[in-house]
Amino acid sequence: MPKFLTSINAISWYFLFPVIFIHFFVVAFPSILSLLLCLTDWNGFGRINYVGLENFQELFRDRVFKKAVKHNIIWTVMFLTIPVIVALVIAYLLTGIKRGQLFYRLVYFFPYILASIVNCLIWRYIFHPRHGLGGWFENQGIDFLAKSPFAMKETALYAVAWVDMWHFWGFLVIIYLTGMYQVDDSLYEAADIEGATKFQKFRYITLPMIRPIFVLSLIIIIIWSVPTFDYVYILTMGGPAYSSEVVANHLYSQAFQRMNVGYASTIGVMMFFYVGIIVGFFAILRRMGWEV
Amino acid sequence: MNKILNIFLTFILTAFFATSTFAATKVVWWMESSADTDPTVQEMMCDAFNAEQDEIELECVFKEDINDTIRPALLSGSGPDMFDTPGASYIKIYQDAGLVKSMQEYADQYGWQDKLLGWAYNSGVFDGELYSIPKNYETMIYFYNKTLFEENGWSTPNTLEEVESLAAKIKAKGMNVYAYGSAGWQPTHEHLVGNYFNTYAGPDNVYKALIGEKKWTDPEFVEAIELLRKHMVDEGYWSGNLETYYSLDWDDFNNEFATRGSAMLMIGTWGFNVTATNFGESSDDWDWNPLPILNSQAGGAPNYQLATGGTMSINSSSKNADGAAKVIDWILSDKARALKVTGSLGYGAWLLPLKYTDADFDPNIDPRQKRFLTEFAEASDSGNYGYTTWTFYPNDPGVHIWKDMEVVWAGDITPLEFMEESQRLWDQAREDDALVPVGKR
Repeated sequence: MPKFLTSINAISWYFLFPVIFIHFFVVAFPSILSLLLCLTDWNGFGRINYVGLENFQELFRDRVFKKAVKHNIIWTVMFLTIPVIVALVIAYLLTGIKRGQLFYRLVYFFPYILASIVNCLIWRYIFHPRHGLGGWFENQGIDFLAKSPFAMKETALYAVAWVDMWHFWGFLVIIYLTGMYQVDDSLYEAADIEGATKFQKFRYITLPMIRPIFVLSLIIIIIWSVPTFDYVYILTMGGPAYSSEVVANHLYSQAFQRMNVGYASTIGVMMFFYVGIIVGFFAILRRMGWEV
Repeated sequence: MNKILNIFLTFILTAFFATSTFAATKVVWWMESSADTDPTVQEMMCDAFNAEQDEIELECVFKEDINDTIRPALLSGSGPDMFDTPGASYIKIYQDAGLVKSMQEYADQYGWQDKLLGWAYNSGVFDGELYSIPKNYETMIYFYNKTLFEENGWSTPNTLEEVESLAAKIKAKGMNVYAYGSAGWQPTHEHLVGNYFNTYAGPDNVYKALIGEKKWTDPEFVEAIELLRKHMVDEGYWSGNLETYYSLDWDDFNNEFATRGSAMLMIGTWGFNVTATNFGESSDDWDWNPLPILNSQAGGAPNYQLATGGTMSINSSSKNADGAAKVIDWILSDKARALKVTGSLGYGAWLLPLKYTDADFDPNIDPRQKRFLTEFAEASDSGNYGYTTWTFYPNDPGVHIWKDMEVVWAGDITPLEFMEESQRLWDQAREDDALVPVGKR
């Protein structure tokens, strides 16, 4: 047998082969196919007609797509701020708790391990106009709070994002907490000797020391915000009047309700490029010497 | 030793060929799953079929979201011998892709056209051949709390003026006019749009628009949408206001109707079962009526819109298509059995569109349900019917109806803009040859 076939290098490829094989057929091949389908008018079944860049032209005329992109941006900004701040504060406070910390960790992390449908049903029930908070407010004569925020176009997107953030920040708490535990205690001891306040220690020791994990969490949030789907679909299906429509929801509607698979692929390709730009941006930062 | 081996081999081969030759042909049928109905269907249809004959073994497989499940199976050239779809618009796509088998030869052989109501048979005919048969039919009606109406001296409404006058009286009593909601099922909106098209613009005009002889932007359709907007947004007929309508689900609004939260429930005939059950726990009585006609020019009274709730078809790659056709024929051949099955399901599922007569009914049937079954069959078979969006609309215009109706209600677009978009999508569907069949009126 030729020597290169039994080299350490080759053996590692043998172990990788099953994963690469599966990845190619399950991820890479459909992705490539999707890139091709965006140039067609395929309905998911019959003939595939080449339509050039028609789908892209349609995309830039599509008012729902524009709305969905705007909502994704709002969604990303909300997730980059509210859950991050909440999680940072909670994680920092938790580092000061010596007894019962596990209980608090469990409490914060619990929504994250619940299925999205369960989280959504809980919150839908809480805001229900008949037997949730809405019914209670109505009985108190506070009619403007009696309506479910999921059912009002002014609030639907924020209400859905709230439920998703409620489930998500427990995850951030755990990863920030892990980062904070890796900070060398001697830095805090030195700061104590210098008379630093709690906030100063957080600002000048904790935050800089957890920066790699912090930046990673931001990248995760930005990337995960692009295909966000389940909470929107379950709670509002993008309504009322597209007020909570996000890009992935629009893609689903085009592919599986309107049977415009070619057009849906075009939306998928745009999402792919957007994520590519984000990843590329952080890769450039890394090359420039940023700790990301 | 050789002799023993010969005897052994002969035995094995004989057993193998005997099994192959005399084994029943297996027919697999993927059906839309519903936890409430699956056990009854299994027992009264699948098991009953297997018990009656030895030639075919029918295996019923219940699947969630049948259309999402069947699509990859058909595309890969496999899948079951028979399958359900949510409606005729899906069959059109399968037929274009050659994934569904023409059943015309079986229809001719077994005389299915004579057994089925004319419109139901025609709903499965594409390019002159039969591809699907409705498993269930339904129409839109309204239920009302009979006891409440009698207590207050209210009459059931038949015209727009009567609807609006009654609505004012109901609201004055602190109740909602209609119970309804779309939480969990956004396409609920299309029920209302279809009702207003058929009772305001009228079935003749809807038919003309479906076949392209009229524009959806014509005034009667725009006015119908404006009237619906007024009743939904300005008047809050459904569950009090638009936001509550968006928030109530199936259980919520049925409960609201049964507990006098609302006086009426405008819904499809799939509501018979739950209404009977919920009112069974109350001292109030209920009844139903065809929809009120909202425009004296509309015609079409009594207004029964045609709708098929699911279809059955044969897979084009089935190796047991003849067996599958025999299963279908068995299902269509006995009206009394069909009524018994659907009766066990509260007439909300498996209501096959057969030509029922008085003699076919169980004497214990609820007279209100019997009245619907006979009146609908009579009216629809004589050509007096309207059209539901979920049976006669192609996919894209169909989704537009329920997705974008919210935009009208939100005040972001006008009814005319809504109908202009509808017309554009219809033109596109017509150009793409994506229309579903509409029998000649």
